[in-house]
Amino acid sequence: MLAASQSQDWFHQLPQNIVIGLEQGSLYAVVALGYTLVYGVLQLINFAHSEVFMSGAFGSFLVVDQIVGNRHLTGASVPLTLLVGMLSGAAVGASVAWLLEKVAYRTLRRNGAPKLAFLISAIGASLFLSNLAGKLFGRVQSVPFPEYFNLNHRVFSIGSADVSLIVLIIVVSAVVMMVFLDRLVNTTKLGRSIRAVAEDAPTAALMGIDIDKTISRTFVIGGALAGAAGFLFGTAFGVGNLMGFTPGVKAFAAAVLGGIGNIRGAMIGGLILGQAEVLVAALPFIGAQWTDVVSFVVLVLILLVRPTGILGERLGRAA
Amino acid sequence: MTTVETPAVVQEVREPWLSETARVLLKRLAACLFGGVVLAIMLNSYEGSQDDFGYVFHQAVLQPRIFVFLAIGVVIFALITFWSHVRQYARRPGVLPMFVGVIVVIVALAIMNWYDPRADVQGSSKFSKIRKLVDQTPSGVLKQTTTLFFDGWLSWGLLGLGLVVCSAAIISRWRPLGYLAALCGVAGAVFAWMADSDILRVGGGIDHSLGVYTAVCGFLILACAGVIAATSRAEVADWRGFWQRIMGYRPGLPFVVVGVVLGLFAYGRDCWFAPLQRNLSFAESADAYSGTDITSLASNYLDWLGWTLFGGVAALTLAATYLRNRLLGWIALVASAVGVLLTFLTLKSMTEVAAKVVPAYGTKWNNLGAGAYLACITYGLFAVAAVYVVARNGRRQSATDANALPVTKAVVQARGSANAKALILLALVLAIFYPPMLSPFWQNVLVSEVSVYLLLAVGLNVVVGWAGLLDLGYIAFYAVGAYTTAYLTGSLPLKPPSWLHMTPLLTIPFAIVACLIAGVLLGTPTLRLRGDYLAIVTLGFGEIIYIIAINNPGKFTNGPQGVLVPHASLHIGSFKITWGQDNLPYWYLLLVLLIIVIVLFYRLENARLGRAWAAIREDEVAAQAAGVNTVRAKILAFAIGASTSGFAGAFFATQVGFFDPTLFTIFASILIVAYVVFGGMGSLPGAMLGAAVLTWLPEFLKSQVPTDDRQMWVGVLVLAMMIFRPAGLLPARRRKAELSGMDAPSSSEVAAVPRAGAA
Repeated sequence: MLAASQSQDWFHQLPQNIVIGLEQGSLYAVVALGYTLVYGVLQLINFAHSEVFMSGAFGSFLVVDQIVGNRHLTGASVPLTLLVGMLSGAAVGASVAWLLEKVAYRTLRRNGAPKLAFLISAIGASLFLSNLAGKLFGRVQSVPFPEYFNLNHRVFSIGSADVSLIVLIIVVSAVVMMVFLDRLVNTTKLGRSIRAVAEDAPTAALMGIDIDKTISRTFVIGGALAGAAGFLFGTAFGVGNLMGFTPGVKAFAAAVLGGIGNIRGAMIGGLILGQAEVLVAALPFIGAQWTDVVSFVVLVLILLVRPTGILGERLGRAA
Repeated sequence: MTTVETPAVVQEVREPWLSETARVLLKRLAACLFGGVVLAIMLNSYEGSQDDFGYVFHQAVLQPRIFVFLAIGVVIFALITFWSHVRQYARRPGVLPMFVGVIVVIVALAIMNWYDPRADVQGSSKFSKIRKLVDQTPSGVLKQTTTLFFDGWLSWGLLGLGLVVCSAAIISRWRPLGYLAALCGVAGAVFAWMADSDILRVGGGIDHSLGVYTAVCGFLILACAGVIAATSRAEVADWRGFWQRIMGYRPGLPFVVVGVVLGLFAYGRDCWFAPLQRNLSFAESADAYSGTDITSLASNYLDWLGWTLFGGVAALTLAATYLRNRLLGWIALVASAVGVLLTFLTLKSMTEVAAKVVPAYGTKWNNLGAGAYLACITYGLFAVAAVYVVARNGRRQSATDANALPVTKAVVQARGSANAKALILLALVLAIFYPPMLSPFWQNVLVSEVSVYLLLAVGLNVVVGWAGLLDLGYIAFYAVGAYTTAYLTGSLPLKPPSWLHMTPLLTIPFAIVACLIAGVLLGTPTLRLRGDYLAIVTLGFGEIIYIIAINNPGKFTNGPQGVLVPHASLHIGSFKITWGQDNLPYWYLLLVLLIIVIVLFYRLENARLGRAWAAIREDEVAAQAAGVNTVRAKILAFAIGASTSGFAGAFFATQVGFFDPTLFTIFASILIVAYVVFGGMGSLPGAMLGAAVLTWLPEFLKSQVPTDDRQMWVGVLVLAMMIFRPAGLLPARRRKAELSGMDAPSSSEVAAVPRAGAA
């Protein structure tokens, strides 16, 4: 009897949970794009990507805090502040990713280091960045952003699900970023060189593509997206020096789910993972404290059943 | 960016205002200055707060101290830019000992204790604290030199002068300068010694703190650098050749010399018996024990046998070394063993009678000083020298087959050589006799930090170093081992059935088996994945275990409150040992287990399985083509690594008696990877050294570096290690052999090892 009423609850909350899953999933998707881009070009997991995300959040926090302070914004200044926050997050994320590539990857690439060395140096960089942020800004779980507008203001409802302002902002900007990236990779000259390097780096070099520059720019693009996502995440959930780890691993899981190296795959993977996490954790016999386990289990299952993901690998071919 | 745009256009834009060289220099300068700023942020004692995010930045960067760090950046910039000019001097003989000496002296003056904290110096007794004490003491009590030494300018001045003069001697190659530098070093050592003795005379007693010894050693190394700079005419330092010439002249001679010096310390100066606040040297102990019912052997030992034994063994070993007589070498080896045995019997007798000498004492081994153990180390050094004499002609010739691969040759040669045997003996002697000399704090660090992580690193080395599989959830197996032990000893809320209830030591095999099963269960599905996927899956596994430990499903793990586990005990018939709060007995238990594990792994490395792992690590496809069952070998690597981790977990649980889920975070896993990488992936001694150094260093720097910054420094260390020395501190022998034996690097992994490592 009790179980029946609980499962009824689950159905009752389903629309609202789908909205929450959409919010989470689009954040994962944007971060996953960075993993996918770097993996497509270098065939390695950029373990420090989660720290790029974190630094983007802190960078945008500092800028927004400087501009807004404790004021409450109204009217046209709200979208303006959002734009400034996203741009500053993107700028900080891009520069951290650029530095990261220079220090932790390029030197190793010049030495012809094995893949394991890249992964370990990325882990070192990740540890360093997250703790440097901890030293600079305090080691706390999460600091809320300045409340410059009413985040939870209900914009509209679909059935019984309320869509708040922040959800709308996150989903819309995530979609915009994804479309932007998709166009960038598929239609521009830079995108063509990225795809060429991903397909076959030595041949691309023979065709006159500067591999170092292309890789560096790939990192910058991924970093900018992660930084902007960091701002969105921070606005919704607050900032902290360890904020990157969990979303980072989940975004990686999303990238693998969609097929790592595949841009559209990352988007789809992120959205599916976000839904799966929220809906499974909401099941009455599981409970919210197992949320993090869900995504890991999903990751393991995908890798076992279909290691190439839903849409298949390769940035060059499938994008 | 494609180069479809013509390069000529690009050059036209850039050429006018900056040349290529200038741009490179500017970039480098900017990078160095940026590095200086980052260093300034890393090196300060402020911690950020959420009230003011700019606080640490202001304190660390926007202060005059930033100029020091910018200067460091400029110096590094200059070094890189003018490296081709500096290089010819940097490779000269004497440079390395000079820097080692200076660093050792700086460490001694800045970090180490100079006086035993149990005596009357309040609080910590670092150099600066002693200086404050000297300031308060009336000058009549302390000699002028002591005041000068501790008041600052004499100690640091001698160091600076020695550094400058020694550098000048190395650059100019003018002999008198080299001797002057040596004089500075010796003077520093003498002053340090005098100042310390003076402080001891005022404070009373003999101390066990290492500060003065380290400072004296550092100054003497500096002096050696001066002598080397004065006498050696070589353009390039050749340490290995120098050492080989000495060992070729009289094998083992340096060990005899060091042994004699240590022995003089042990019998002449150091304390043998420490009743309450007094530290009695060898002769004083003899007085204290005269008339008590100590065994006749012990009373004779304290009376005359000790000195005679030391002199006799020293003379015997010296003769064996000098005459290179193998028979004499065997006799010296036996004599050293007898020396250790007699010293021990005396110690045992002393502890039994101690309660009568000073009534406050029971019959425990904790009222002894460092002297007797130092004497044992002395005999150990004599034994090491004797091993060199005995094993001089070893199997070196017979083992080398003309047709063998260079790799095999190198491995076989190194295995049978006298060097390896002597080093193993030395390590064993230090492992047995050094820990009793440590303070309780360091004994605790040794048992519950260093050796547990050492075991974990040795286990992870199998997975990461030998099989080339990156396991980022290694600590999960440690957790499985710890919880298995807790369950079987009945320490968890969920009790085992009564027939399964057992004592802590008995649970260790069960913990190992549990982890073996967990390793196989996780490994079987995932090991077919590519390397980087494996890393993420293991990381996920580690997180799942951590979350399970926190969430406490079915009341199994007791959640964040942690678990209390009983201490170990052993009953075999009438034979009964109980391990309690004391760390030292645990250390010896662990040492035995550690030796078993290390010997097993050492045999494994060159066995069929070990070679299969090496093949998989280098090229999995080729290994499979050559008939290696790759999946089976990988699962075995995973399972063996996991069971080592479980063993460590079970041991830790019983030793500390308490654990909670905070031990099993992802950071712990990464830390162990860092230990293995730092020491040298795939090298057993490397992994052990890496773990030992990296667990010891944070404790050593505890009062200098905030504990919260530990992870940051570990991250930097791992990063720097991967960039500058990917092969680690002690690179694996197989890789070294591969490098020196074959012409071209056969794989990217081999090519990653810097060329300097091949020499």
